[in-house]
Amino acid sequence: MNQRAEKSGVALSVLIFLFVISIPLRAQDSNSSLSGVITSAAGAVVPNAKVAVKNLASGQLTETQTDSGGHYRVSNLMPGEYELSVSAEGYSTNTAKVTVAAGTGQTTDVTLAGVLSLQDLGISPDQAQGTAADQARLNKRSHMLMLHQRLGLIAAVPLIATVATSFGAGGRSTSTADRWTHLALGSAAGDLYFMSAYFAIRAPRIPGTPSRGQIRVHKALAWIHGPGMILTPILGAIAFDQKSKGEKVHGIASAHGAVAIVTAAAYGASIVSVSFKF
Amino acid sequence: MNKKFMLAFLLLTIPQLAAADSQWILEESTLTYHVSHPLKQTEGVSHAAKGKGACHAGQCDFLIAVPVKSFDSGDSNRDLHMLQVVRGGQFPLIAVRTHLPEDASSLTTILADLEIQFAGQTMQYKQIAFQHVTKGSDTLITGTIPLTLSDFKIDPPTLLALPVKNDIPVRVEMKWRPM
Repeated sequence: MNQRAEKSGVALSVLIFLFVISIPLRAQDSNSSLSGVITSAAGAVVPNAKVAVKNLASGQLTETQTDSGGHYRVSNLMPGEYELSVSAEGYSTNTAKVTVAAGTGQTTDVTLAGVLSLQDLGISPDQAQGTAADQARLNKRSHMLMLHQRLGLIAAVPLIATVATSFGAGGRSTSTADRWTHLALGSAAGDLYFMSAYFAIRAPRIPGTPSRGQIRVHKALAWIHGPGMILTPILGAIAFDQKSKGEKVHGIASAHGAVAIVTAAAYGASIVSVSFKF
Repeated sequence: MNKKFMLAFLLLTIPQLAAADSQWILEESTLTYHVSHPLKQTEGVSHAAKGKGACHAGQCDFLIAVPVKSFDSGDSNRDLHMLQVVRGGQFPLIAVRTHLPEDASSLTTILADLEIQFAGQTMQYKQIAFQHVTKGSDTLITGTIPLTLSDFKIDPPTLLALPVKNDIPVRVEMKWRPM
């Protein structure tokens, strides 16, 4: 009898011992928690939002609600992968995957988007999202027009100098040096002009964007100084040849000066048209 | 008995009626941005914004969207350059979201927290003041949103090597009506 009682007592002690040492182990397995704040896209807290935490391995689901401050807390979680799902009236449901480590208190804040979408406004996904190709086209256009602008401004310098040296190159003047200086400056102006024009002409067009405003004046003036920059050096070459032979400039070559002045004036007006607001 | 029944009916339904869903639609709008440069000032205007508001349980969500290319500064060349600078080819829309209590419609000045998506970036603007006036069934909302180029990681364009100012305030005038 005593032996039996003694054996029972030992067995019971062992059982109790095993139970006691197992408690901290179970606690260690499930003392993780997940908490956070639920806010709207505009930054306001969302009270009474339903928060569901589902263990992806076991399928166990734990649900809670946010308090008046938008806070939620789910305790006694086993470590592992979870799916956190948050829903609230007036908001679209937001789902996120969360990894909960053992013995930790994890914080995961969630932002809920309003139920309104761009489609509700009649805006299709195509209208809402552009493409990298469209942006690249805009970038190329801006870059080329920037080069057009810079070369155009640089070309104005030899162009003004060419006009200034024209008085010594033509008329009754017989100076060879003045004629060559005028020719060189005119050539430089012409080269820079056509380089500038290249970038303007070749800059990509953007479909569906008609010209508006003073840029239309700038483009219209090109129909004057463009042909003028072709005709002026042709007439100038004829005049140069006549002067070199000791002749007075005559015939069609005598129009060189007038064409050049009109060309230069149109060019100057073209620069002014995009520099000042009228 | 009938009186008690009616009273009970009213007590049960009035809260439901008060919390009934309602919707708002943006009828007209004028959005104006202002760019400052040492040599000139420029404004661009758009009337192409679309917007809706959805109210539920005393809280309203508003969404307003406007195409970037709808802004007109009077010069198409400048507008296309603006489109390029703000990455409008890739992000063609500006979207604004805000969340307001439904009783804000009774206030003269509404302070709203805005979430703005622009040029591929999302920014929060807190406590932006809007003036509110009711005219008949229309609700007029006006205010200025203090946007900056740096908030949206936009490089300031330059004119004659001088950059424009970082501040690009956007004046908003909207007419809303309930659906």
